[in-house]
Amino acid sequence: MRNGAEILKLGTLTLVWWCIIFGAVWAACYIVGILIPMALTSYESDAARMTAETCRALTPILSVLVFIPINAMFMVLFERRGLAIFTVRLGPNRVGPDGYLQTAADAVKLLFKEDITPRGADAFMFTLAPIVFFAPSIFGAMPLLAAVTNYHELFQIANLPTGIFFILAASSVPVVGIVMGGWASNNKYSLVGGLRSAAQAISYEIPLVLSLVTVCLMAGTLDVVQIAKQQSGGILNWNIFGGGALRGLDQAISLKFSSSAPALQELSKSSFEQVLKSVYLEPTAQALGLGAGQEGLAGIIAAFAVVLLIGSIWIAYGLYMTGACAEINRIPFDLPEAESELVSGYNTEYSGIKFAIFFLAEFTNLFIVASIAAVMFFGGGDCPVPAWLGTALGGPQIASVINQALTPLIEIKLVDPPTLFATIWVILKVYSIVFFAVLIRGTLPRFRIDQLMDFGWKRLIPLSLIVFVLVVYAREFVNVHVGT
Amino acid sequence: MLALSLVTRAKDSLYQICRGLKTVAMHTFREPITQVYPDKMPDTNIRGRLALAVNPETSEHLCISCRQCERVCPDKCIEITAHKSPETNKLELIEFKIDHGLCMFCGLCAEVCPTSCIINTNDFEMSEYSREALVYDLRKLTLSQEESRYYFDRKEIPLPKPKPAKAAPAAAGAAKPAAAGKPEEAKSESEAKVADAKAADAKDAKEVKQADEPEKQTAAPEEKEETENKEGSDKSKD
Amino acid sequence: MDQFEMLKAWAETNVETTMFYFLATVAIPLAYGVILDKTIIRSGFILIGVFGSICGFFLLLQAQFLALAQLMIYAVGITLVIVIALMLTNPRMEKSQLSNATPANQLGAFMVAVGLFMTIYLSVRPENWTLSSEPLDTNNVEVLGRALTTDYSLPFEFASVLLLAALIGSVMLAKAEKPSKPGEDDYEYTVVEDGPIAGDPRQDREPAVSKR
Repeated sequence: MRNGAEILKLGTLTLVWWCIIFGAVWAACYIVGILIPMALTSYESDAARMTAETCRALTPILSVLVFIPINAMFMVLFERRGLAIFTVRLGPNRVGPDGYLQTAADAVKLLFKEDITPRGADAFMFTLAPIVFFAPSIFGAMPLLAAVTNYHELFQIANLPTGIFFILAASSVPVVGIVMGGWASNNKYSLVGGLRSAAQAISYEIPLVLSLVTVCLMAGTLDVVQIAKQQSGGILNWNIFGGGALRGLDQAISLKFSSSAPALQELSKSSFEQVLKSVYLEPTAQALGLGAGQEGLAGIIAAFAVVLLIGSIWIAYGLYMTGACAEINRIPFDLPEAESELVSGYNTEYSGIKFAIFFLAEFTNLFIVASIAAVMFFGGGDCPVPAWLGTALGGPQIASVINQALTPLIEIKLVDPPTLFATIWVILKVYSIVFFAVLIRGTLPRFRIDQLMDFGWKRLIPLSLIVFVLVVYAREFVNVHVGT
Repeated sequence: MLALSLVTRAKDSLYQICRGLKTVAMHTFREPITQVYPDKMPDTNIRGRLALAVNPETSEHLCISCRQCERVCPDKCIEITAHKSPETNKLELIEFKIDHGLCMFCGLCAEVCPTSCIINTNDFEMSEYSREALVYDLRKLTLSQEESRYYFDRKEIPLPKPKPAKAAPAAAGAAKPAAAGKPEEAKSESEAKVADAKAADAKDAKEVKQADEPEKQTAAPEEKEETENKEGSDKSKD
Repeated sequence: MDQFEMLKAWAETNVETTMFYFLATVAIPLAYGVILDKTIIRSGFILIGVFGSICGFFLLLQAQFLALAQLMIYAVGITLVIVIALMLTNPRMEKSQLSNATPANQLGAFMVAVGLFMTIYLSVRPENWTLSSEPLDTNNVEVLGRALTTDYSLPFEFASVLLLAALIGSVMLAKAEKPSKPGEDDYEYTVVEDGPIAGDPRQDREPAVSKR
């Protein structure tokens, strides 16, 4: 650990910025969603009631609007510092205390820069492009908001029955902005960047969507809140581990743990096997139409199906990350803005606030992609520790202590413990994925355009179809999401 | 068969990607090799901007106008103006210009300099508001006595022989101590010993002129100063 | 008191209508823009706007899934492909190069338009539809899936046949040509005789050089 100081600095920076971001969002939501309506209840007029309702309804969008700029600032800084560590450098550390304000300064600089429209450019399209690029990322985040806050009452309004499809549709729109900006700039590099981006987005959207469809198929719903809820109860229930394929194991183990009295040991042992049998063997035997004497065969098939399911989901996750990286133009798929080839791609001609919007949207998209992964594969706001292990480690006691400590805050409705814990877990998961994306960025070189197309059409799409079919069959033999 | 080979290839490439990721991730634990520049100045062991040294003991300018640096410079950023003194028949340095906007700090001039006059200093902070300001003239280039001593010590260059002592027979009329204005007293009195022979030969130094000869003797093998010194002393000057 | 209630009631009845007229006023001018804009790529982009407003219509009809599919597939996917095709095939079609239609052409176009309008109107006129008052199932997707795989499975299959044909056609178009065997395509190697060749750019350049 000869680099301990730098790692520590990155850690503190992250924590401080998290406090800033989520403190700001929390405060905004609290003031608009709870404080103002509470203050208004004392007035018995219609106007007051209407205002209160409007405030509550506007809370989700307000939280997103507060969150996006601050978060983008933090993510740029996080990425730069993270990359610096991976490339054995120091990174930005001059502006503010230890470089904390570097990106804030950058943002201010961009806001005050002259806004130039190049000669010969289509001015209207040129202005429209950043908007088309940025607006969907605001909408796209909405259904996720309900999922990551553990369906808090303020954010229920943001939920949709077709949640994940809505997110996907919204996240497919930005590419129009890229093509539009590339064409309207009246610049060869921009145009080529826009064309590349369009080709890439259309190709990689297919594996991306198919991998998410695989998950939806397993979950049996498109609603992100339900998908997140199904996965509650520890790491073994997450979709990345077969979406509840291991839930039977989880239940069996918890049964074993719960009965500590020696007299119950014998009973629990038998029930352990019973649970396994009822969860794994019986559905398989039923699906195959096997008789009573063929439990061995059913067991083998069930085990095989579980392994197949988990493997398929891992592949689906890989496909999702690949497709998502291509969708948001990140290295190794950053061909639309390849510096060494296209100056800066579609945003070559942009400056000032329009460029800032492009930049903002890019990092917001990264965050959204990571949160989709967290919700769809990693259980959303679920604590990774299974219930039985949590009990063994004294989880309930800790929780009650925290609850006690937070009681005054809970009473004024500043804190809602389920939402608080869910949010913390989501933040950790999402930023781990972002960190992984930074690691990828530090490692992999850029694709060539023909390799990119080959890889997308000849490898990823067939693979995603195969995974889809495998999951369809494996799901028949494994009782996915039993008990929900 | 095809599917199997595809699976194998996918496995291999995944393994390679993971190896790359691991390597990069392991870099986390390495100490940064960059430094916080204004807080921590870089190592002194660098080739910074060029400068002309004076004799640390006598403060006499070391340049003998041999023009070897001018000739060896890949960027042609050195421009020497010298004339032959009518009294002593020796080369006299009038102006020495280095365009640091062109210089690439290769250090070849310092390498060929027979008197260790031109050296790379540690200084690298020379930002200016115009390109013209990067052209350093003789006055800006010449180091003080203390600075010269410092660089001679640090680069472990043997101190030049005290020329003025031997320059007595030459009886040059050149003003040795750098007078107030320009330290242009870059006279090379004792050519008999020191090797400006080659340079002088090459040029057939006759007329006072700007250094604008197009001749390019790029590949002339230049020896180190000591051997050159010997050769120079062997060869009698014209 | 019941300003609030009244407002709510008004919203429930009238917002949809208002939104419909709003979307219509967006969609129709945009649709005109697609055919009237002389910059052909720009009309491609305007087409995206048209599809976007149609997506809004679907949302008004509470067909969430269809609306999103419209946005994702038509507004983004297909129109982008159209725009790319335009960019690749028709790089510089300036206004001056677009010839104005002759009166005969205009008349023909008008007739076709009227015929098309009549056809569509007759098939979708209000008398053909019955208004259903039962609330829409919130789980759109399931209803759609069931309908596609039971009642409408034949049209669904036909649509996939169409897609298959398109796929095969594109493969045929994009297929790399076989490297020609020696002796097969001799004409490629025929030596061009000396002398002026029609359309050879060198022909025009040669005298200029000699003059100089």
